[in-house]
Amino acid sequence: MIAFVAFSLNRAWQGFWRNSLMSLAATASMVLMLTLLSGVVILYFGLNATLNYVQGEVQVVAYLNDSATAQDVAQLKAQLQAMPQVSTVNYVSKDQALKNFQTSEPGVANLVDSLPSNPLPASFEIGLRDPSDYIDVATYLRGQAAVDSVQDIAKTVSQMTSVINVVSTVGIVVLVIVGLTVLFIIVNTIRLAVVARAEEIEIMRLVGASDAFIRWPFVFEGAFVGLLGAIITIGLLLLVQAPVASLLSSFFNVLPVQATAMVGQNVALMVLGTGVGIGFVGSYVSVRSYLKR
Amino acid sequence: MADGTPVIALRGVTKTYANGKSALRDVNLSVPEGDFVFLVGPSGAGKSTLIRLLIREELPTRGKVMLEGRDLARLSRREVPKIRRRIGIVFQDFKLLPNKSVRDNVAFALEVTGTPRARIKPAVERVLRVVGLSAQADQRPSELSGGEQQRTAIARALVHDPHLFIADEPTGNLDPLISWEIIQLLLRINEMGVTVMMATHNAEVVTALRKRVVGLEDGRVVRDETGAAYHPED
Repeated sequence: MIAFVAFSLNRAWQGFWRNSLMSLAATASMVLMLTLLSGVVILYFGLNATLNYVQGEVQVVAYLNDSATAQDVAQLKAQLQAMPQVSTVNYVSKDQALKNFQTSEPGVANLVDSLPSNPLPASFEIGLRDPSDYIDVATYLRGQAAVDSVQDIAKTVSQMTSVINVVSTVGIVVLVIVGLTVLFIIVNTIRLAVVARAEEIEIMRLVGASDAFIRWPFVFEGAFVGLLGAIITIGLLLLVQAPVASLLSSFFNVLPVQATAMVGQNVALMVLGTGVGIGFVGSYVSVRSYLKR
Repeated sequence: MADGTPVIALRGVTKTYANGKSALRDVNLSVPEGDFVFLVGPSGAGKSTLIRLLIREELPTRGKVMLEGRDLARLSRREVPKIRRRIGIVFQDFKLLPNKSVRDNVAFALEVTGTPRARIKPAVERVLRVVGLSAQADQRPSELSGGEQQRTAIARALVHDPHLFIADEPTGNLDPLISWEIIQLLLRINEMGVTVMMATHNAEVVTALRKRVVGLEDGRVVRDETGAAYHPED
């Protein structure tokens, strides 16, 4: 058994470098596919996480008219607190909103200083006991004179859902096409490897090598192309992780940071599994069809 | 086989290829253990087909091919490689791997059959001594003479301790002097108790050795006698 594994791995390694140009081309196409796969999956996860975050938000934000007096505000606050659906009411003044903005976006803080007046409205952040009461509370708030606008989550949610649907449909179609192409490239690479070793295979048969010794090195060779492609892809992803993460967090403003780390680990596992899997399946198919008997 | 079972037994073997060409017609042949048999006949007489049947590259259309009492048509896929390890075979074109040394070419036969590393080295050194190539063990086939290349192939065929040794035109590419060296080696292998079957065109060798001669012509056994001369023009 040890002899078999050592022999197969050794031969797979030799086989890979024997026609290195072809092997590296196959690896490159594997990297391309896995990168594409990661991109689609990261985008999909990002959008979904954002959607969940938005949907799970049990908070209604009502922006107030600048013209609302302190009395209006106090009155509204009391009314809200009296509502059974409402758990907490937090008043954010214009000054507080500006401070929050400056802490969350230090890059543009100076820009705000140059404005003649504070553009940010005061708001109520209203915690709900049950997210499904959102519509009731939002409708009530819209009827109030002091309220300028209420964050419309329902609209955001439906927009995001359609974006996610488009991304996943297009992503799946493109991935299937690219995946089949890569599979074909692997099948062909291994077929060439089999042809290159025709002489050795003949000798192996004559001296009584079992089918496993003849076939498995090629399967390992294909799996190795997948493994190498996956490792390179993961390396590339790590390289671009920091810039992409900051891009994502500014794009999906609300996305919790820890979600990205978890997605990263899952993506790495997925890239590894897909790469090795396609390499394995492609070479197995190739060996099955080109090494009869 | 000590119990008298012939190493090779063909019973009514007919082989017709898919293109309709009959390579063998109703061949009966029995080769007891320890025999040395020349297989002679013109090109296309069926010698190669007979050998391909013996190593189970092909199955007969009709009849039975038995090796050490076992019907080759009834072997499972898994058993075929094991049977082949009991047969050593060499060809006119040596079939050596050009990028491996003599030692590695011989070791290859053991590596690909899963022999533990520790057992490979002594086995290889032993057969290289038998064929007289210990000194050339590190050379590549391209650095060897034709005779040395064939002796490398013989060493590789011997390394599994076969019970049957098949040589298909082993001297076809060699000059007469070197051919004799190879024949001497096959005789020594035969003296070690291995059954040897040699397909050849070499009338001089066949006539001089006075061994058993099986003649094939047009797919039929036309003669089977011991100690006879051989004239290819017969």
